Amino acid sequence: MRGLLVLTVAGGSVAHATLTPLVSVRGVTPDLPLIMVSLLALRRGSEFGCLAGFVTGLLQDLAGGGLIGVQGLTKAVIGFGIGVAGSRLRVSQPLVQVPGLVMLTIAEGLARFALLQIFRFPAPFGELMMYVVIPQALFNGFVGAAVVLSLAGVQTLRARFEGEPS
Amino acid sequence: MKIQKLALLVTLVGICLLLLTLQTRGYGSAAGDLFAIVTTPIQTGLAKASRATFGLWATYLDWKNVRAENRRLREEVQQLRVQALRVSDTDVENRRLRRLLTLQERLPLTTLPGEIIAREWGGWIRSLTVNRGRGDNIPRLSAVISPDGLVGRIVDVRPGASIVQVLTDPASTVGAHVLRTRTTGIVEGDPRGTLRFKFMARDGASIQSGDVLVTAGQGGLFPRGIPIGTVRAIDNRGAALFHYAELTPAVDFARIDEVLLVTGDTQRDLTAYFPKDR
Repeated sequence: MRGLLVLTVAGGSVAHATLTPLVSVRGVTPDLPLIMVSLLALRRGSEFGCLAGFVTGLLQDLAGGGLIGVQGLTKAVIGFGIGVAGSRLRVSQPLVQVPGLVMLTIAEGLARFALLQIFRFPAPFGELMMYVVIPQALFNGFVGAAVVLSLAGVQTLRARFEGEPS
Repeated sequence: MKIQKLALLVTLVGICLLLLTLQTRGYGSAAGDLFAIVTTPIQTGLAKASRATFGLWATYLDWKNVRAENRRLREEVQQLRVQALRVSDTDVENRRLRRLLTLQERLPLTTLPGEIIAREWGGWIRSLTVNRGRGDNIPRLSAVISPDGLVGRIVDVRPGASIVQVLTDPASTVGAHVLRTRTTGIVEGDPRGTLRFKFMARDGASIQSGDVLVTAGQGGLFPRGIPIGTVRAIDNRGAALFHYAELTPAVDFARIDEVLLVTGDTQRDLTAYFPKDR
């Protein structure tokens, strides 16, 4: 199970750069690794979320060709934060998770922007937010909702099959 | 436990910050290179697989679209064909009715238009049923004509319909003459569904194939000068009193749909009112 998770995290991050452009809408792509990290952190806790975020973000940085460590840092923090929040708040409802994902994406965008500023990689804030971060946040919200609902459906089915007498 | 988790976070954040610092100072390319060695083949494979999958999907979608379009176009073609048939049918009917109306307006006779509603086309009887009957005051033995020529005569008037004895009926006889030579005789129906012209030999010496026969107008039943048919062949019987000529009817009885029933005076010569090229 742990091996499968590692494979999902690592493979998903590498595949992200190749496959997400195929599902882009008007040039906007969802941040699938962020969704994955958020969901994993909710289920597995802050430690796993932090590690998964770090690995995923680092791999994304490496695959994307930008500054290595920016997304590693932001996603590690997000994974950790969600893991902590998941154990303290009631965040299992899709109605909470979806807006949560939108907010997270915006928060990650802001953190990335701040890191780029610190490490002297200037980027226009307004345009980044308007054309990249907010559209991606909305996209993430929709994709996240679909993923959450699909997972809930799978779980229901599994529970039904496991509950059936043989 | 909590401290452990926080320590993990701090460590990872520290690693990231270190990496960022190193990169801004120009030491970041080695990590990138190492990563590329590992991930490039994976990304290449994924790209190929995704391209193939999406290519296949695109082909499937294209095929599906083409199929749907094909079906739609077929239906459209079918509809257009039916529409074209309807239009052409209406056009033909329109032309036919126009000809009939023109004839009716031109003729110096009282006529009533009628529509053929039934046909009796066996060897024994050849008749048409017209949708004009007793209520229309149709006299028995009225002449029935079309823009091409004589069709026959009314032999039975019923409520709402009349029976027309067609010229080709074996019992039908009409007094006629050859337009060119004025040779008189009788046009008879034939059991084979054709017409023949029975004439005296002494008068018919000069009848030729292609001569037009019209009604003679004797007896007051049919107006004079209505085309009956054209001479197709002459049956020369040597010294016999009567000779025969086979005729091609002026009217295509099998295809006629509308007729004019002559209800009034029949003592007129109509030769000038029908086409001369028969």
